[in-house]
Amino acid sequence: MATAETWQPAPSLPPPRIETGWIGWARANLFGNWLSGLVTVVTVPLIVWAAWRMLGWLFGTADWTLIASRPQQYLIGLYPTELAWRPLTGWLLVSILFGMAAAMWGGAARRIAIGYGAVTVLLGVLPYGLFHEGVVMPWWVRAFILGNLLTLGIGYLLGMNPKTGRPRNFVLGGIAIYVLLLLILIGIPGVPGMEEVAPRRWGGLMLNLILAVSGIFFAFPIGVLLALGRRSNLPVVKVLCVVFIEVFRGVPLITLLFMSQVLVPLALPANFPVDSVTRAAIVITLFSAAYTAENIRGGLQGLHPGQAEAARALGLPGWQVTTLIQLPQAIRNVIPAIVGQFIALFKDTSLVYIVGMLDILEMGRSIVQGNVQFTDNGRENLIFVAAVFWIFTYTMSYVSRRIERNLGVGRR
Amino acid sequence: MRLSLTYQGIPIWRHSRILSWTAQIVSGVLVVAAVAFFLSNVSSAIVQRDIPFGFSFLNREYSTPISEHLLPYEESDTFAYAFLVAATNTLMVSVVGVILATALGIVVGAVQLSGNWVISKVATVYVEVFRNVPLIVQLFFWYILLLGLPPVREGIILFNAIYLNNNAGLSFPWPEGQQRPGLWLLCVVLAIALGVVTRVLLERREERTGRPSYPWLGAIGVIIAGSLVAWLVWVAIGDAPYVMSVPAPEGRFGHPAGGYTISIELTALLVGLIIYTAAFIAEIVRGGLQSVSRGQSEASRSLGLGTMQTLRFVTFPQALRVIVPPLISQYLNLTKNSSLALAIGYADLTSVAKTMTQTAPAVTIFLIIMGIYLLYSLAYSLIGNLYNRHIQFTGG
Repeated sequence: MATAETWQPAPSLPPPRIETGWIGWARANLFGNWLSGLVTVVTVPLIVWAAWRMLGWLFGTADWTLIASRPQQYLIGLYPTELAWRPLTGWLLVSILFGMAAAMWGGAARRIAIGYGAVTVLLGVLPYGLFHEGVVMPWWVRAFILGNLLTLGIGYLLGMNPKTGRPRNFVLGGIAIYVLLLLILIGIPGVPGMEEVAPRRWGGLMLNLILAVSGIFFAFPIGVLLALGRRSNLPVVKVLCVVFIEVFRGVPLITLLFMSQVLVPLALPANFPVDSVTRAAIVITLFSAAYTAENIRGGLQGLHPGQAEAARALGLPGWQVTTLIQLPQAIRNVIPAIVGQFIALFKDTSLVYIVGMLDILEMGRSIVQGNVQFTDNGRENLIFVAAVFWIFTYTMSYVSRRIERNLGVGRR
Repeated sequence: MRLSLTYQGIPIWRHSRILSWTAQIVSGVLVVAAVAFFLSNVSSAIVQRDIPFGFSFLNREYSTPISEHLLPYEESDTFAYAFLVAATNTLMVSVVGVILATALGIVVGAVQLSGNWVISKVATVYVEVFRNVPLIVQLFFWYILLLGLPPVREGIILFNAIYLNNNAGLSFPWPEGQQRPGLWLLCVVLAIALGVVTRVLLERREERTGRPSYPWLGAIGVIIAGSLVAWLVWVAIGDAPYVMSVPAPEGRFGHPAGGYTISIELTALLVGLIIYTAAFIAEIVRGGLQSVSRGQSEASRSLGLGTMQTLRFVTFPQALRVIVPPLISQYLNLTKNSSLALAIGYADLTSVAKTMTQTAPAVTIFLIIMGIYLLYSLAYSLIGNLYNRHIQFTGG
């Protein structure tokens, strides 16, 4: 009995060379049709020319002495030089969190920690502040900056350890470091080396970061409460929340900052100790909370009512339906919007110059305006400041996209 | 005897109605108490520290120049009128900014989705750069760039019609009324009304007979024809209603005369606002177009609709539903962001208000401008929500 020969198709030929590799890619993406081809032919030379001009300016014409000679002002503003070790110590503490995050979540967190470490090394070894007049960067500052690698490593070890590397510890550690950082910056009266430094002397990038972190930290819970209040069945609560949200969303942040400077001192009892930085931080937080509330409300509205009904049918009390069933799902669905709001908050911290504070933007501008030799370097200053902001905001949006992908939003 | 606090047989600390009322009364009382506390502090501070307050300054002469204004303005005008002038400036920036930012944003958003790798990458870089840098940094940057331009004689001149330099600002051609321009505009308005009627009639005809009647084409045709006929009548009687006034250098310093001139402050503000907002709008447009599932356009193609028809009748209407709500909030943001004019010295509402605080009570002034901004926000929200309701699914 002859075994039936099963018919075998001839093996497929490889695709023609012209459809694969870089030729195929170019045919598909650069010369897909005649219009696309025309666009490519016209725009590529333009882009090359523009890039050439831009690089020529960045590395040739532009004079970066301004930035290289004033690193301290850009970083910490007018914080007293002899006390600079305090913000630097705070920085060391923050690095622990980066290390922990890298060990606990890996992936994007690890990549950010690596980038962070690389920037730290660069800041530690680049020869700025050495050959230029202005503030010479002392050796111990470099030691402090490079010390961040050490604390980054400590954080990484803490994160790897199954006992300490828990999300709860990370959050608690973050809060502890935040409080400690503020304490170190303000100082403790009576302790040598810890002289009080009023917040109005804080400045530079440090001020932007502190305002942003405080804003995010407080805006989120306030926003959640406002969103819940706006959806509540209690008319009084609802009206109060609606009025608050709509007023704060309806006016520019600048006008609110002005109000915080003229009205708040009047509205509080005389000699009530609240300085302009705190007032600005409170206004930025409330402003951001109003927007966060609307984002979260959107997430709550998008939930299927069956979720809450099922939870209630299972016998959960009302507050547990909200905190265990509705909020987690709602927040997960609007993470991109909330991160977008936090990016906006970070960008908005540059508006505090309105109330006379020297954040990184205003610090740079005052260096340009206050020194004759830098009068023509306004562009370099602004491009540098823009780049610093961009690095932070782009990292945030990168993290947001990764979280979005990991949670599978929109892919269910 | 046991004291039982019950209502309808339920202990009162567990009765939902009582709990909800307690919560409301407590929160209401707390807010009222807080407001009363703040107000009493404010009023005592006003009395003790002799801080000016109240609205009586509104009728006083402002007697401070406003550098640029759409409405006629004299220094002898009152504070109230100065508010109006400044509010009009802000409104103008907002409307011009919204129109141009929308146009640029749609183009960039569409380009991001185009099949050409080069321009879609350029569009992405544009969006990522301008969205992620604070607007105020960008405004300062554009302002410095414009300040760095040569003075009027050596400034940039395009097509002998557009002048850009660091002292005269930006001058461009602008229609100038010649012979009864108002009456002609009235004729155009009439033509538009006629066009709307035509569109409705043709739409009804299309629905009744089932034959394509091109309602939009008809309406636009009627509007153009009507305006053109009126224009020709004007020319026949004497002069055209408008002439295009082209700026040309004049006088010893060669400042462009004619056309329309805006200061570099306003130019920088508009450029910054438009480029910043367009980056956000581009993302909204891209997201909206991508949100329409591929099956929709495939189904439409298999039903025999062409590319343009698919875009017009299937993809676009569905994308619009996703695009419009965030678009409205971008328009609001643009309006609020125009307050950054303060930083570069264009006389918008906020910067005029800031100047006013030197001679009038600051608290009142900021209350007034916050009210005006709220009014603008409400107006945009209202228009936006009406349009949004119009385009959403109506069921059926």
